Parts: sequence; structure tokens; C-alpha cells
Amino acid sequence: MFRNQISRRTFLKASAATTALASIGTIGFNSWQTLYAENKENVSITPSLCNACSSKCGILVHSKEGRLWKVEGHPDHPFSKGKICARGHGVATLAYSPDRITQPLKKTEDGQFAPITWEEAYQEIGTKLNQIIKKDGPDKVVFVEDPRPTGKFYGPRFLAAIGSPNYFNHLVVCSNARDTGFIHTIGGVPGADIANSKYIMFIGRSYGDGLRPASVQALAKAKDNKAKVVLVDPRLNNTAPFADEWLSIRPGTDLAFVLAMSNVLIKEELYDKEFISNYSVGFEDYAKEIEKYTPEWAEKISGISKETIIRIAREMASVKPMAVIEQSWRGAFGSTYANSVDTGRAVALFNALLGNLQQKGGFTFPKAPKLGTLDPLKHPEPAKSKLPRVDAEFHLVSKGAGVASVIPQKAMEGKVKAAIIIQTNPVRGYGNPQHMMEGLEKLELMVVIDVQMSETTLVADYVLPEPSYLERDDVLEGLPGGKPAVCLRQKAIDLVHPDTVPADKIFTEIAKAMGLGQYFNFTVDELNQAMLAPLGIALTEMKKKGTIVLNDPIKLGQVPQLKTPSGKVEFYNESFAKAGFWPIVKWVEPKVMPDQDSFRLITGKQSYHTHAYTANLPYMLQITKDYQSERLWINKQRADQMGLKDGDLVEVESSITKSQVKIKVTERLHPECVYVPSPYGNFSEHLHLANGVGFSYMDHIPVQVDPIGGTSMIHEIIVKVRKVGV
Amino acid sequence: MARYGMLIDTTKCVACFGCRVACQMQNGLPPEEAFIHIYELEKGTYPNVNLQIVPVQCQHCDNAPCEKNCPTGATYTTKDGIVLVDENKCIGCKYCVVSCPYQARVVSHETGVVEKCRFCVEEVAQGKQPICVATCVGGARLFGDLDDPNSEISKAIVTKKAVPLRSDLGTRSKIFYVR
Repeated sequence: MFRNQISRRTFLKASAATTALASIGTIGFNSWQTLYAENKENVSITPSLCNACSSKCGILVHSKEGRLWKVEGHPDHPFSKGKICARGHGVATLAYSPDRITQPLKKTEDGQFAPITWEEAYQEIGTKLNQIIKKDGPDKVVFVEDPRPTGKFYGPRFLAAIGSPNYFNHLVVCSNARDTGFIHTIGGVPGADIANSKYIMFIGRSYGDGLRPASVQALAKAKDNKAKVVLVDPRLNNTAPFADEWLSIRPGTDLAFVLAMSNVLIKEELYDKEFISNYSVGFEDYAKEIEKYTPEWAEKISGISKETIIRIAREMASVKPMAVIEQSWRGAFGSTYANSVDTGRAVALFNALLGNLQQKGGFTFPKAPKLGTLDPLKHPEPAKSKLPRVDAEFHLVSKGAGVASVIPQKAMEGKVKAAIIIQTNPVRGYGNPQHMMEGLEKLELMVVIDVQMSETTLVADYVLPEPSYLERDDVLEGLPGGKPAVCLRQKAIDLVHPDTVPADKIFTEIAKAMGLGQYFNFTVDELNQAMLAPLGIALTEMKKKGTIVLNDPIKLGQVPQLKTPSGKVEFYNESFAKAGFWPIVKWVEPKVMPDQDSFRLITGKQSYHTHAYTANLPYMLQITKDYQSERLWINKQRADQMGLKDGDLVEVESSITKSQVKIKVTERLHPECVYVPSPYGNFSEHLHLANGVGFSYMDHIPVQVDPIGGTSMIHEIIVKVRKVGV
Repeated sequence: MARYGMLIDTTKCVACFGCRVACQMQNGLPPEEAFIHIYELEKGTYPNVNLQIVPVQCQHCDNAPCEKNCPTGATYTTKDGIVLVDENKCIGCKYCVVSCPYQARVVSHETGVVEKCRFCVEEVAQGKQPICVATCVGGARLFGDLDDPNSEISKAIVTKKAVPLRSDLGTRSKIFYVR
């Protein structure tokens, strides 16, 4: 049907290629005139929390008629400070992903998933859990999460209610080794006071890649104040624009470098003697061990010249205590090498030598808000289980993290029978996926709570869908910091899929089905009110503001009693000796080393992706496509020697498997390694966009666990690279 | 009346792509259409290497080739120096696409209009900043009135020695880069 008059505009609209994008975007393309007219009215702003990564930054969600328009950074939140990263903006569209799970699913006998009602799911899961607990004991049930406010309250409480001690999170492939090294030497993990520091060293950590807005803001401030920034990394990462110096260290040898810098501080008596004599134990034994780690020795191992090691140690000492090796997360020693726990110890102790603990520009311990609890008279508190953990052989690993990568093996041995996994993807992310799947398939019951069909859901018996993070209310978040804060995630857009249920209700209903409803006789609002009560903050005020920073700052310049057995810095670790390891930090070889024909496979984050959960989101994956950033990096000289050119398709072969990927030939990488970005290699056929994009280093990882730190040692992989079709 | 411009300090940009996605959300763009592109320039040979990251978008040229070449007058400059496209006049001929030396033009597959960065004119009209400036985690971006010698941006251009991209082209572009 033709109209008599067709405007030029209508003609263009009709003739332009149309795609079915309205469902995945936010509100659809708008001319600026439309935006201008619309935005004067119809825009609601709700303060909430991002969930695009583990930082959970404060955000202001702008919506129109219940549908997401855009997100801005919450000005008060300590991690966002008014800014938000690409993920914060783009992952918000998760609500509208066509790959969302829309109803509870149960695996049928033919291995397919079929819809089930919530009531059936609660009853069947509750009954099965009770059977397992009765038959085999409550410690056969494990809970796994990537901590988020609701999960980290309800998960442990649910475990306590059923009597299991087996709490796990994703730190097995994040910071377990660093944490183990830090906790036993300085009693915790402080944060570097970057903004006020005069000399900042990053070892494998990249603020430009594993990005938190306030951290980049702090680094920019430090640079404005003329701080020196040194990157120690086999890869010139994206923090490079802020760096004064890049030390391209041989992968796996950071420990030798830090030990040698420590050697310089001690030999040249540049360390903070007053701090060491007042606040440490075992220094003499440590100093004796450190004698052999000379800069000459470290040069041979790390490839960093002895002159550089001496110079940098002296430079850092000259501005102490306002100098710091940043604590990092996964980086080069979170869960990376066989020597990562010792690197963690060495880094913590190097900072101690600088006397920077709780000093401006140094290493500061954060303060947590003092939150209230539910009234136990009205809401009985389940007692924590006293049974031994299923990973009890890892004596030094924090029980607040656990070693989740051993769950498959324990399942094969019959020591784990049931798992409840929420919003994390152990099959894709925690270790060798084949091994993970084989082990988890041995479970009698596996329940996964998620928003999309991750690789982990594929081996589940029940998949229970939550609303995405902008569609739900969560438990209050207490945020430790220089000033503690409280933050709240709350529903900011209309629920997209009516048959999705938030995790608090899922746990409550399963508990009821098990006859344990008395431990969950409260709403999230009631819980949040109880948590806020001691702070004198009403829930209505909290909901209005979203983030409230408490005016209760830490005291700088006063060294606190450390949470170690001695209350001091422990240069000598009795705990390590008791666990059968060396009580003083020492040089430990990496587990594997490449030869002339092979490479070490290393990995790292990209600022626009998180774990393996964002590659399926169109706004994030499009960046990958536009910049071909799933490619494997290879050093230019090595590539030239092998006749490889930028963009060539190569095969990457390890002892485990082969992968194919295109290469990025670069001068930004140590010749001994190849680098693959970590967000890729999704193989769940339900993740329609991410499936088949790039590959994951995890596909190549042998079944291995660091016996000290309980990590998957993710850089201990040797690969060969060859051009496909030759 | 103002003459709006921007400063981008590449020494503070880590290619986080926050600006790109914030802009897409602000303007309701689909994933594959972006007004901001990011170039990573690697200089030197291993291990003496430098990385420079340069975000590029419409430079809001005072002497805009796209505006001169637009046959319908759809591309125009506001009294505040912001180069805009009137969607009711654009015929989608793409002359502007080929005439823009910064490759800043994007064809909207939904409407057929050739679009680009608008300096978030609707936000600026309310006294706010363009979204790319507001969200920049490194504080790499400044926005303001180039005609006001006391504006933060005017001062920063002088102290940081910021210069336009390819000033030799005579476009008199209004985004200044610190490199």
C-alpha cells in the first residue's frame, strides 16, 4: 500500500537494512532531537550496584518506562567515584540478552533440559539434599560462588543450616596464592594508597585491563603528583600510558626479582629499621636467607639487569614509606605459578621492609563497617558446622575461599555428593574443563543458579534462573575501605522474565522444603534493616542514596595489631613450618619452563570483559570483533623467526589439547611466552554469540593444584605454535 | 554563545572503551555502531616499546569538510560550534563519510541517517558534560568553551601543549590531543 506522500525520512527508514536489534539494545537509536525531548521527562534514576565484575561499583541506573536507558557511575561509591567502565555500561544490557534462562529447568533422563515449576524444583532439591545428608552426612554438600551480596549471606547461612562446612569461591583461579602469602606474613591483604604514593610498582597487575574506575582515577592523581610508575610484566599491558618504565620480566621469575630487591634493601641497610624492630618477628632468619639472592643471581633468572634491580630498590627506598608494590589480584602471583605463594610472601615482606604498613602512600588495611545482625530471638541463627572441610589438606588456604578446583576429584572419590553453584562458572573458569565436567557429573545433585546457560549449567541437574542484577533487590553490601561504606543493589528496571526468582527466595524455599525454614524466616528488606540498624541509617534513606560512605576513616601513621599469631609482621612463618613447608620465603622454581621451540602460555584480563560471562553480550563482544582482540599475542622477533605474520591462523598445542586462533604480532611481549586474553573460549551451545570465539588457556591446563596456595597455577602451561595449513 | 571543544590526554587513556559503550547507551546505538574508535599505536622494538592510545570521534571541525560536502544542508554547525546532523534533511548519500578525514561518520542501519558524535548536545544543554567525558575513568577528557580563556579546557590546552589531529588538513578541528 502506497501513501501519496512519503517523506524523505520515511523513505530512508523503509529502505535501510533493518536488523532485529531492538531486543538486545537498550531503548533503540535516537536522534539527538528525540533524546532532548524525551529526557526532559520520563527518565527515572535509581541508585544501585553494578554486577559486571567483582568490584560491584555504585551506579545510577537511568530508565525510561521501566526499560534501561543508560548507567552512570555513582558519585559517592568508593570504587566508581562517578565513573563507570565499558562493562558497567554494556553488561547492564544483560537483562535483555536473548540467551537468558527464563524458567527453571531440570535435566531429564535423555540429558536434555525440560521446564519444571519452581515448587517442583524446591521440593525435589530439598528432598534430595535431605536424602544425601541423611545417607552420607551434611559435609557431602558444597556451595560455590563468586561472592555477591545475596550469595555471600545466604550461601554460608544455608550451609550452616544443613551442617556443612564446605564453602568455596572463585579465588582458586584468582588470588588464593597471594592471599595465602599475605595473610600468613602480614595478617591480611591491604590496599595500596596509590593516589598518595610516590613510587608504585605493579607486578603483573594492570589497572588498565583488570579495571576498577577509582583505581585508574587514583593512578592518574598519583601521576599528576609526579609519582613514578614501574610495570613488571612479560607483557606491556594497557596501564602502559601511565608507566615510566616497563620491565619485561621472564614469566614465572617475579619472585627472584623481588627477593633480589629485598637483598639490596638489607645489604645496603635501606630498609625501615625502626619499623622492623618494633613490628616484626624472625627478621634475622629472613635476612640470612635473603643473602644469597643477589641482583647478579636474579639477573640470570629473571632477565632484569642487576643494575636495574639495584637502582629500583634504591629509588623505592629513597621515598619510603610512600613507595609500594601494589598488592594485585590474580596478576603474576594470584593463582599463577608454582612459586606464587612465595612471591606473595616476598611482596608483602618487601613492603614491610619499606615500613609502609598503614602509612600514607603505602599499604593500608581497610576498615569494614560494623553491620548489625538479625535478632536471634526472632530469627534463630544456625550454628556453623564443626565438621572438617573436604579440602582440609590445604592447611594454609583461607577457609573463606577454599580450593574449589578439587571438587571434581572429591566427587569422583565420593567425598562430595551435592553442589549448589551460584553465578559462577567453574567448568569454564576454574581448571581443566574436561576434568571439571567429568567430576561434577559424578554428583548425585548439582544445582546451578544463573542468568544464562553457562558451561557449568550443562552438567547441572537443576538450573534455576535469577533476574539479572538490574531487575532485583539484593542483600546490603558492607564495603571495607579507607572510609567504610554501605551500598545497596536494588531493582532499577522492570522484570524482563516473570518466571525468574532472586537467590534469597530460592535458598529460603529450598530450606523450607527441607524443614529448615526457621532459619530463613525474614525478607531481604528485614535483613537489610537489621544490618543497617547500628549505623543509624534507615532502609528508606539507604534506598534513596544507594551508597553511603561512613565518616569513620582509618588512622594513617599508626601500625595496627596485625592478624598474625604474633600480631606482627612474620618474616618467619610458624604456620608454614607446621603445614610441612618452608617457614622462610625462598626461591622456588616455576613448575615448567619452555625450551627454544616452545612458549609459556600466559593470560590476562581485558577491560571490557569479565571472567567467561560477558563474551556473550553484544556490546562487549562487538569490541572484541572490531579490534580482533581474541587473538593470541606473539613476540615479533619470534614470529619473524617462525615465518608468522600478523593475522595468521595458528594452532596452539599443549600436552592436553590443540586450539586454533589468529595471532597478533607485537613488540609488547616477552619472547618466551604467548599471551591469550582470558575472556574467551565459551563452548556452551546456548551462548550463541560467544560460542566459538577465541580459546581459553583453561583448555590447555593440566589437572594440577598448588599444594600450598591451592591454585590452578594458570601460567604453568607449555605450548607449541605453528601456522595452520603449512 | 560558546565554542565547545574537547581535550583528550592520551597519557591517561588505557583503552577501557568506557567512552565508546557509554556513548552507545546514551544514543541508543546498536552494538556494531560506535561513534568512538580507539587506536593503539605501538612504537619501538622489544623491549624498548611505547604504547599510545588515541580515541577518535567527530572532531567538530570549525571548517568541517562533511558540512561543506553535504548536498542537503543536513550537516550544520550550531551557534555553539557543535557539528550536528538534521535527520530530516539527511538523504544517506554518504558524501560526508568519504569526506571526513577522521573516519568519524557512522551509517545508522536503523534509520539510514549518517550519524556521528554530537558532543551530547542534549546533555550539554542541561549544563552537563558529554557522557564520554563524564565516564572517563582516567580523567583523560575535558570539555568546555574554547572561546573562554579562563575555562579549564582553554588553560589545559596551553599548559599541556595539546594539539588537534592533523592540523595540516585545515579542518580547524576542536578536539585537542595531549600526546
